Amino acid sequence: MKRLAMLMTAILLLVGILSACGPSDKSTSSGSSNASSKNNDGKISEPKPDKLVVWEDKDKDNALKPAIKSFEEKYGIKIEYKTLPMADKMRERLRLDGPAGKGPDVFTVPHDQIGQLVVQGLMRPLDVPSSVTDTFTDSSIQAQTYKGKLYGLPKAVETPIFIYNKKLMDKAPATFDELYQFSKAFTKGGKYGFLFLGDNYYFAHAYMSGFGGYVFKNNNGTLDIKDLGLNNDGAVQGAEWIAKWYKEGLFPKGIVGTNGGSTLDGLFTEGKVASKMDGPWSFEGMKKAGIDYGVAPLPKLPNGEYPKTFIGVKGWHVSAYSKSPQWATKLVEWLTNAENSKIRFEKSGEIPPVKALLKDPIIADNEGAKAVFVQAERGEPMPNIPEMSQVWEPMANALQLIVTGKQGAKPALDNAVKTIETNITQLNAK
Amino acid sequence: MPDTREATRHRKVALGLSIIPGLGQIYNRQWFKGLALLILTFAFFTCFYNLFNIGLWGIVTLGTVPFRDDSLFLMVKGIIALLVIAIGLGIYAFNLYDAYKNGKRRDLGLGVHSLREQFRHVVDQGFPYLILSPGFLLLIFSVIFPIIFVVLLSFTNYNFRHSPPAHLVDWVGFANFIDIFKLDIWRRTFIDVFSWTIVWTFTATTCQVVIGIFLAVLVNQKDLKFKKAIRTVLILPWAIPAFVSILVFAGMFNDSFGTINVDILKHLGIDAVPWLTNPFWTKVALIFIQSWLGFPFIFAMTTGVLQAIPEELYEAATVDGATMWQKFRQITLPMILYATAPILITQYTFNFNNFNVIFLFNGGGPAIPEQTAGSTDILISWIYKLTISQAQYAKAAAVTMLLSIVVISVALWQFRRTKSFQEEDMI
Repeated sequence: MKRLAMLMTAILLLVGILSACGPSDKSTSSGSSNASSKNNDGKISEPKPDKLVVWEDKDKDNALKPAIKSFEEKYGIKIEYKTLPMADKMRERLRLDGPAGKGPDVFTVPHDQIGQLVVQGLMRPLDVPSSVTDTFTDSSIQAQTYKGKLYGLPKAVETPIFIYNKKLMDKAPATFDELYQFSKAFTKGGKYGFLFLGDNYYFAHAYMSGFGGYVFKNNNGTLDIKDLGLNNDGAVQGAEWIAKWYKEGLFPKGIVGTNGGSTLDGLFTEGKVASKMDGPWSFEGMKKAGIDYGVAPLPKLPNGEYPKTFIGVKGWHVSAYSKSPQWATKLVEWLTNAENSKIRFEKSGEIPPVKALLKDPIIADNEGAKAVFVQAERGEPMPNIPEMSQVWEPMANALQLIVTGKQGAKPALDNAVKTIETNITQLNAK
Repeated sequence: MPDTREATRHRKVALGLSIIPGLGQIYNRQWFKGLALLILTFAFFTCFYNLFNIGLWGIVTLGTVPFRDDSLFLMVKGIIALLVIAIGLGIYAFNLYDAYKNGKRRDLGLGVHSLREQFRHVVDQGFPYLILSPGFLLLIFSVIFPIIFVVLLSFTNYNFRHSPPAHLVDWVGFANFIDIFKLDIWRRTFIDVFSWTIVWTFTATTCQVVIGIFLAVLVNQKDLKFKKAIRTVLILPWAIPAFVSILVFAGMFNDSFGTINVDILKHLGIDAVPWLTNPFWTKVALIFIQSWLGFPFIFAMTTGVLQAIPEELYEAATVDGATMWQKFRQITLPMILYATAPILITQYTFNFNNFNVIFLFNGGGPAIPEQTAGSTDILISWIYKLTISQAQYAKAAAVTMLLSIVVISVALWQFRRTKSFQEEDMI
């Protein structure tokens, strides 16, 4: 038995030696390193791949198919696509499939995920000429930029706008003072003049920012994570302005918290609400309920500024694991060009931030699309840095306390900022 | 002298030759077994060479070039390589033992088994091992492997700023554990969460146990009518999925619209209680909910024990002039505690890790400014928050280790005591 023990030790030593002189160069399919491939005015230096793989958002493949077909005809490269829910599954699957070699070449995510995907190394910067980026609106390109580099081309933009029930309101008011007066007169007996989700920071930001607040200070394109403007005078003023609607009974009690959204939708589709602030995603529901609705950009605030709504930009990006990044970039440019963007709008209602299309009748004559376009120009993109993920919950908690009257605006926002700063420090802890 | 040396020659030679598996068996004239082992060894190394190569290098270095080396994949490969090597060593040890044993048989002049005899031997005496091995293999890879992964993770620095594939993860030894106790922000949060976890465990479990036992004794009274109906109603909280009950309670306890504030308390003339926005009241609500959810189990168990207590004890006590309370304290309670003690201990460990009720009710309670854990977060829900919202995976793994130390010690202590429970007899 002692000999057995000696033998075992000998084997363990052998294993130890093996581990030391392990492989210095190995297998794992090398994800292409970050060396960007020069595009040289459209001349592509890499060979044509057999196929390119595209991951599209769920239920949007109708809009994708014509664009793919025309690309296949023009360049002779086969394109396969798959649909995945864009909000979470897209980046989870990318993280796992990419390194394994089963990932896409081109994929789409909402722009506020760009920061964390870049930090994880899943997205590669795009090298496109300014002739291409100039075709898009400035704010949509800004949304696709992180730390000074462009990471995607925009395919759709959305932002909350002013929606009104034409039966209860003739036309959209030009200022919030008008709307406030209308609401005071109109709101009684279960009917409401104007509603929005004041305790949801996505909507509240428009007003807090319109009065002078900001999330992270924007220093010429780079966001300063140490400079939060969520509790400055403008933000406090904005929060108090929002709370006023609740205090004066112009909003129902049940519109706070996680069920607020469905309550608001329910009330509006029942025809009890004259106007609301909501996004283009609600168009379908209203159409189905038979509401004759009108759409307009949001009215002016009492201080003469327009509310700066958060715009969400969905874009096409190239995966860091793509084996043909130059061709993938070409595909991204193709999918977002004016012609394909127009087809996308026709098929899926997603509004493309392409400057040329603003004058195209298909958008100029579509009330909804025009309103979103105009409001998007007045709005600002959600910060796409990973630190933004730490902002939502503390702000929601603070807003809830403010609108239900449980805490004053300044102390609640001060607490929220403290929490956010702590969370950001922890997130970035080495 | 030459005799004894001769007498042990076979086994020594067989053992020595078995350094290369199979040769020893061939020496012992067990051709088939020897050949099979040789081929097995050869196949083992050919198949797994790549895995060992990358796995062992990977788990030691965790990669050296970002993008090419995905640290987590390397760690996984490394753990699998180590597990496969362990299995391989097991088979190797068997090979050595087998060669030695058969060499011994030859020394003693017993002769080795033929192929048919071996086969029958394996099927007869090796049957339990044969049946267990597939399940055991599955257990190793689906249970042991993730545990090892988490343990190793707690010694790395995997968090948001070190996420593959763009960054490498490094070994940092005990740094995570030291940081939890050294860095102010971590220490404060850890102590707060840990102390609330202990308080929660003892309060909630004791409440549910006391209520359960009290109701069981009450309902067990001889002269009570409709016993079955009452027992059925009292079991209901356990029958409804806890998940659903907790979510319904969250709605009922809502500060502004929940029925408890709006209907019940208003009618009693009490002001609305800030259930969800005040840490103290959230804790009260949680303890109440857990008692509600937990007592039926204790109730059912205690009822069973009560029915096993012989009547004579109570009659004798009445003859001696004992009061109700004395009967309860001296006869009923000791019997209940003795019979159910191990299970009561598991109730404590269950509540220590009771993620559902804490998270579903209020997501860990009203937030505390400047702290990353909520005011009613227990260790396990804090670990969840660290992982999901803050991507502090390595720290979360470290806290998991600390939590496991507590739970495992209690489990071990309980295991020891269970034996003593079994050996003693009350009556």
